[in-house]
Amino acid sequence: MAISLSFFPIISTLLLVLSKVTEAANGTVVYDFNIGWVTSNPDGAFERTTIGINGEWPLPIIRATVGDQVIVNVKNDLGNQTTTLHFHGLFMNGTTEMDGPAQVSQCGIPPGSSFTYNFTVNQPGTYWYHSHDKGQYPDGLRAPLIITDPDFPYADQMDEEIVLSLSDWYHDQMQVWIPKFINKANPTGAEPVPQAALMNDTQNLTVPVQPGKTYLFRVVNIGAFAGQYLWFEGHNMTIVEVDGVYTDPAEAELIYIAAAQRYSFMVTTKNETSVNYAIVSSMDTSLFDTIPDGLNWNVTGWLVYNDTKDKPEPALVDEFDDFDDFTLTPYDKMALLPEPDQVVSLDVIMDNLGNGKPYAFFGNVTYVSQKVPTLYTVMSTGENASNPTVYGEFSHPFVLEHNQIVEIVVNNLDTGKHPFHLHGHNFQAIARSDEDAGVFDSTNSTQTTYPAIPMRRDTFVLKPAGYIVLRFQADNPGVWLFHCHIEWHVDQGLIATMVEAPLELQKTLTIPQNHFDACAAGGVPYTGNAAGNTVDVLDLSGANVAPKPLPAGFTPRGIVAMTFSALAALLGLATIVWYGLADMGAATMRSEEKRIAAMNHETTDITPVGGSVNSESDEARRR
Amino acid sequence: MTASVFAVPVFFVVFRETIETVIVVSVLLAFLKQTLDGPQRDVKTYKKLVKQVWLGAILGLLICLIVGAGIIAVFYTKGRDAWTHTEYYWEGSFALVAAIIIGILGAALLRVSKLQDKWRVKLALALESQPVTSSGKRGAFKRFCEKYCMFFVPFITVVREGLEAIVFIAGVSFSSPATAVPLAVVVGLIAGCAIGYILYKGGASSKLQIFLVVSTCLLYLVAAGLFSRSVWYFEAQDWNNAVGSDAAELGAGAGSYDIDRSVWHVNFGNPELNGGGGWGIFNAILGWTNSATYGSVISYNLYWLCVILGFLAMRYKEVKGHWPLRKAKEEKDALSSGSPSLAGSGVFEKQHEEKKTVEAVTTVPARTISE
Repeated sequence: MAISLSFFPIISTLLLVLSKVTEAANGTVVYDFNIGWVTSNPDGAFERTTIGINGEWPLPIIRATVGDQVIVNVKNDLGNQTTTLHFHGLFMNGTTEMDGPAQVSQCGIPPGSSFTYNFTVNQPGTYWYHSHDKGQYPDGLRAPLIITDPDFPYADQMDEEIVLSLSDWYHDQMQVWIPKFINKANPTGAEPVPQAALMNDTQNLTVPVQPGKTYLFRVVNIGAFAGQYLWFEGHNMTIVEVDGVYTDPAEAELIYIAAAQRYSFMVTTKNETSVNYAIVSSMDTSLFDTIPDGLNWNVTGWLVYNDTKDKPEPALVDEFDDFDDFTLTPYDKMALLPEPDQVVSLDVIMDNLGNGKPYAFFGNVTYVSQKVPTLYTVMSTGENASNPTVYGEFSHPFVLEHNQIVEIVVNNLDTGKHPFHLHGHNFQAIARSDEDAGVFDSTNSTQTTYPAIPMRRDTFVLKPAGYIVLRFQADNPGVWLFHCHIEWHVDQGLIATMVEAPLELQKTLTIPQNHFDACAAGGVPYTGNAAGNTVDVLDLSGANVAPKPLPAGFTPRGIVAMTFSALAALLGLATIVWYGLADMGAATMRSEEKRIAAMNHETTDITPVGGSVNSESDEARRR
Repeated sequence: MTASVFAVPVFFVVFRETIETVIVVSVLLAFLKQTLDGPQRDVKTYKKLVKQVWLGAILGLLICLIVGAGIIAVFYTKGRDAWTHTEYYWEGSFALVAAIIIGILGAALLRVSKLQDKWRVKLALALESQPVTSSGKRGAFKRFCEKYCMFFVPFITVVREGLEAIVFIAGVSFSSPATAVPLAVVVGLIAGCAIGYILYKGGASSKLQIFLVVSTCLLYLVAAGLFSRSVWYFEAQDWNNAVGSDAAELGAGAGSYDIDRSVWHVNFGNPELNGGGGWGIFNAILGWTNSATYGSVISYNLYWLCVILGFLAMRYKEVKGHWPLRKAKEEKDALSSGSPSLAGSGVFEKQHEEKKTVEAVTTVPARTISE
């Protein structure tokens, strides 16, 4: 049942020990992760196969201090699936090969293989790590990653830290769900609705608190799909960090945390201990196409002041009046970046392809994994690495020049919310429209009046039929995905690839041998263009492509069918006319003559002409 | 606004279903009028058969009103449309039965045009008075169907079209103002019946043979469309089951059909959507669909193929005295053997009277054109 205190320092330390963590004096943190299947039942409703680490689930929190070198030695013990780890929100500056997306910056680690992630963390704050392969992380492979900051600006205002993860939860594995979801029988692309919501990978969580103290809550939505409305009954939150960016303190009663977003906020407890208070996290049901019977989209925990008192049921909320993260101001007061050197404009479209299945598109391109991981293509195509062609049309590549200012405009032509995430950067979120505002117009000055100090984060919600405008500086050479963080939409291809300063990368980067070994073990090519062509890298024949679009209107097949049908009908009608107008035919005429003769005979024989009913029945009876 | 007074989709649905029904009913009535109602005709039988037609139509209407009321009751009490879960199975079955019956009946009607007037009357009378006996159960069943075909054809047609219309109207009035429904229904009915009346008048007053040829053509067009649609309905139900909702609710675009079965799909002219407008009428008469499947196209062509072969065979028999691919029997036998009647040759060819000696042979006109 409820695992109280699961992320409290003592237990966390215990977990760290369990996962064989060694923190050397020089600031190196080493984790040995054996990733394998375990069973779990966090919602008490269904025992399922889950991906654990070192035989345990929930997973250990990765912890490090700013400046530390982090080494994660992964051994894939899943047996039936490849895997990877992505450290969400970490810039990986200089180590783009450690970013984690399969077929982007590495090959999926095949079963039985090992792989080492080795990077240095220079950013403080709340992050998380998760699989970035095959839509896998909702099977359990996701957990918070906390980088402690000795210079935390609000350190003197807080007493204790509490990590809180929020998540949706499915009872079936992703490899079961995905084929059902991306299926011609699901033409609307209705995303599977979670079976439960979790708080610290459990329900009815109790968080013991002491009166009159200030707690720093680090909240991560590690879910696959649902955004979460979070509130503490009777308490306000003071937001001080979003996605690793410190902010000026901002008061909120209720916050909305989309999948992959993080918030740190301070909660000051009351001075008396007579009542316990509910912590409620409520999945955003507007994302769900249907709400199945019996679904409880809320998960509740409690701030427990007094163990002997009741844990009250939370009051119902009529309306979610959530805090607008666009209004936040970064603590460092970084000013609006200058006008962009390059604008990447992306239209979000959900549509079906020629196989009838639902896909997600930026413009008219749905992402398809390429044969060679994109980063390895950068490293092996020489000068041509600055030509987007080599990455394959369906990796949807954008080549960015080193240090240029890039603006990403995303127009939502879909009616759902999409939390967009950029790897390798925080972006300045300089504009976000309301729902149904339509497409961004850069010539409209009311839309281009940007804040002087825009808020920054790495995952930002795009509203239904609205737009967002993001800016960042391409100061981090690497291959970075830009994608919706709803895992279903990742599976559907709502991804673009930013290839940032590829020629710079070639000069500075060395891929560790054990990364190539993983490719070799899995039989994945690791040189050449997206199609694995090493001779003519501009020849993309054989590259992975999306299914063909749906045929529009009449295809030749349809025209042939229509012609045949029309012809058949005309021939049929002609036959009818021919038959109907033809003579009686020799044989029929002869028989007819006989019949009439017989009839005449009969009628004169029995009854006068006209009184035929009786005669006929008589005749019938006679026979 | 007009939208609150006159629901256009409702009009089109009612209009479409009415047209389909009245084509069948008015062709039958006109046929009976031409054949049996006139000088030297049997008024009694005529009235009896006309009564059958009307009885079929009215009983069909009654049944679909009752069933429709039941459906609407379920619809409103359970809050969900129980009918739509299996709707296409029903429609498909009705369409299939209607296509087969119309196919047989059409041939029978057309064949009549060649028979001499007197004989025609005789046959009708014979059919009317024939006791339900004869060879085995199948024979009895056949006889029964033949005897009451004037009842069954309008009956089935009305039940099918009526139920479809009622369900649709129930669905519409669920989502749009109920005030918009009655006027649309009435106007649709009137418009449909008017067309039926014109058809009947035209049919009843033109030359019998021409009328029969034209109306048979029309009937077969409707029947081929029905046959094709019955296959389409079964496939559409299958697709609905797979999608887990009424795929028609997805509109006309992607996802409203199974791409793997599709022969063509255009996003306009969906006859199932909001009554289909003019396309719905196109659908009712010619079997148009915006989303053809292999099944629906093949069945449409196959139906015509059967019709063509059937008529060719009938013609062959008329000339040669026996069915194609069969040995020519002795003439006498061939005529008296009660050969298994192919589509249509059956209805009015019942007698086994050839045992009697031929006496006076009156002249038989090579073809008969009604006066």
